Amino acid sequence: METLHPRIRLIWIARGAIAAVVLAVALVALDQWRVTVPPLAIAAAVAVALVLAVGYAVRLYQVWRFELQDDALYLERGVVTFVETAVPFVRVQHVDTQFGPIERALGLSSVVVYTAGSRNADVRIPGLTPDRARSLQETLRELAVESEGDDAV
Amino acid sequence: MLALQHGATGFSVPVLLVGLGPSVLDIDIGPLLALVPIGLVAGVGYGIAYYYRFTYEVTASTFDVSSGVFARRSREIPYRRIQNVDLSQGLFERLFGLAVVSIETAGGGDTEATLRFVSEDEAERLRAEIRRLTAATGESTADPDSDRSASDEPTASERTRENHSPGGGAPTLLFDLEVRELLLYAVTSFRWGAAVFPIAILVFLGGADSGPGLVPAFVIDAARPFGGPDALEGAAVGPLLVLAAVTAVQWSVFTYVSSAIYTVANYYGFRLGRAGEDFVYERGLVQRYSGSIPVEKVQSVSVTENPLQRLVGYAGLWVETAGYGPDSGSSNQSAVPLAGTDRVYRFAENLTGVETPEFRSPPRLARRRYFVRYSIVAAVIVAAAIGLSRVSTFDRWYLTAVVFVAVPPAAHLKYVNLGYFVGADHLVIRSGFWNRQTTVIPYYRIQTVSTRRSVFQRRLGLASLAVDTASSRTFAWGSPTIYDIDLETAREIHDTGRERLQSALRERARTDDLGLSVDFT
Repeated sequence: METLHPRIRLIWIARGAIAAVVLAVALVALDQWRVTVPPLAIAAAVAVALVLAVGYAVRLYQVWRFELQDDALYLERGVVTFVETAVPFVRVQHVDTQFGPIERALGLSSVVVYTAGSRNADVRIPGLTPDRARSLQETLRELAVESEGDDAV
Repeated sequence: MLALQHGATGFSVPVLLVGLGPSVLDIDIGPLLALVPIGLVAGVGYGIAYYYRFTYEVTASTFDVSSGVFARRSREIPYRRIQNVDLSQGLFERLFGLAVVSIETAGGGDTEATLRFVSEDEAERLRAEIRRLTAATGESTADPDSDRSASDEPTASERTRENHSPGGGAPTLLFDLEVRELLLYAVTSFRWGAAVFPIAILVFLGGADSGPGLVPAFVIDAARPFGGPDALEGAAVGPLLVLAAVTAVQWSVFTYVSSAIYTVANYYGFRLGRAGEDFVYERGLVQRYSGSIPVEKVQSVSVTENPLQRLVGYAGLWVETAGYGPDSGSSNQSAVPLAGTDRVYRFAENLTGVETPEFRSPPRLARRRYFVRYSIVAAVIVAAAIGLSRVSTFDRWYLTAVVFVAVPPAAHLKYVNLGYFVGADHLVIRSGFWNRQTTVIPYYRIQTVSTRRSVFQRRLGLASLAVDTASSRTFAWGSPTIYDIDLETAREIHDTGRERLQSALRERARTDDLGLSVDFT
């Protein structure tokens, strides 16, 4: 089982921090225009949100695993709901590598695998080094072509 | 190559403007009125331009459409990617002998190509032509990168396809909805979508009898005999609750009636037939729908029964493709709207070839889980009532504790309606009390399998298994999931699904057997 790059935690923590800032702004706005919210309560709420975000990011990194098995791409992920997904290579429609601005700044990228399904129609593997992302995309593409079924939708 | 043909499209825009123009503009009567003829002329001009710029063509391997006056768009749709072809005719189209043809492919957000205002004969011809060519390409290019199918002798299914495909011929009738079944269907089905009808009627009649406020006067009048308030302003909470309850009842009754009317109008004269390897259906009273579904595009088959239908022993059969259906925006097509439960299950078995399922239930632990879940919901309701009693004059909050009585039966009913069956070639999943759905998924249609465990499920050692197929499921039709089974069982079925997908694909590559039978009745 392969794990993600440890730096992905920074992205997830940054995301959580942004959410905490939004929460802080919302609470301050509430304080200004509606009911008075003690500054201490705001600080406490934001601190709790931050701690939760960091804890969530660390935990998510710990549980995120993926593997190329004989017939399928297998992934395990999720903090609240733990999900184990198998994406058979036959079902792969196409594979993308994506580099978001924050990801690029941290030298990371994602691979997105698309299927024709309705749920989990796109499976994203975040936190890969660009080299690994490219090689994974390549491998998946080859495996998908190799196992092509004749019942494509 | 077939000759290029024009769709008789030009009519739409000016007619729309003639209809809409005055009604929109006479709100501000005055100089704006002068715009109406200009709009009409522009509309007619645009319509004519659109008509001349709209072309479609049936080629040997693709169906091409190009359209657009200012921004041109041309599309080529390969036949083997077409999911289903639907024809619909509203009142206007029927008067003028026209039809709307929609061609669906998998994926994407909507219908791939829509030909509006095609003559009826032309629409029929197009559908037959597309069906014939689809069948033809299916034979020759089913497996483009291997020559297996070419070197083998034609299999049984290929032979039947050849027998039936040329020109389509007259379809063989498979199922005919009787008037009794139609009425039963109308009475026993409740469509939430119909809830907008009462609102629409209210808005339509808006100016006529609504009182001063937002709430029409008759709503308050109707509630008064039951203890409703005389007016909204200054009313106590008790009478307001009565008003809400009475209005809800009224609304439900109206919704139920409009839902029944909608059902009759939509499913009147439902007939399902077979033409070659395709299902063809037609239905509708005012607006006629007809279409064809290639059997090889069917992803899964579902039997639906709501409590009323179970009571009278009836059920419906749906087939699901990856395209979009003519109404409701989902990919579910009704194969048999309503028929006796035994018959419907027999149809489902004949159609998919699944053995009679012996359903297994999730462990009893699951029922305890639902009990706890519903208890929490009930507690929230009571808490809300207590909160309401604090801020208002409403003081009998303890009456809401009655909801706790409903918790055990609700948990039990949810539990007993869950079931799954791991067959040789199919997975059968059943769930739901209000709309019980039994879905048959052939292993070779599986897209992905996921084992999901929430925090609570992990504590109990349970898991849910979601089996995804290629279909455009909507909110009302989630992806088929086996809920709350033992983690070990879930992992086992997860692996079984994956393995049988692989072996079924190998099998299919060898024999070209669809595994689906068109003559299911």
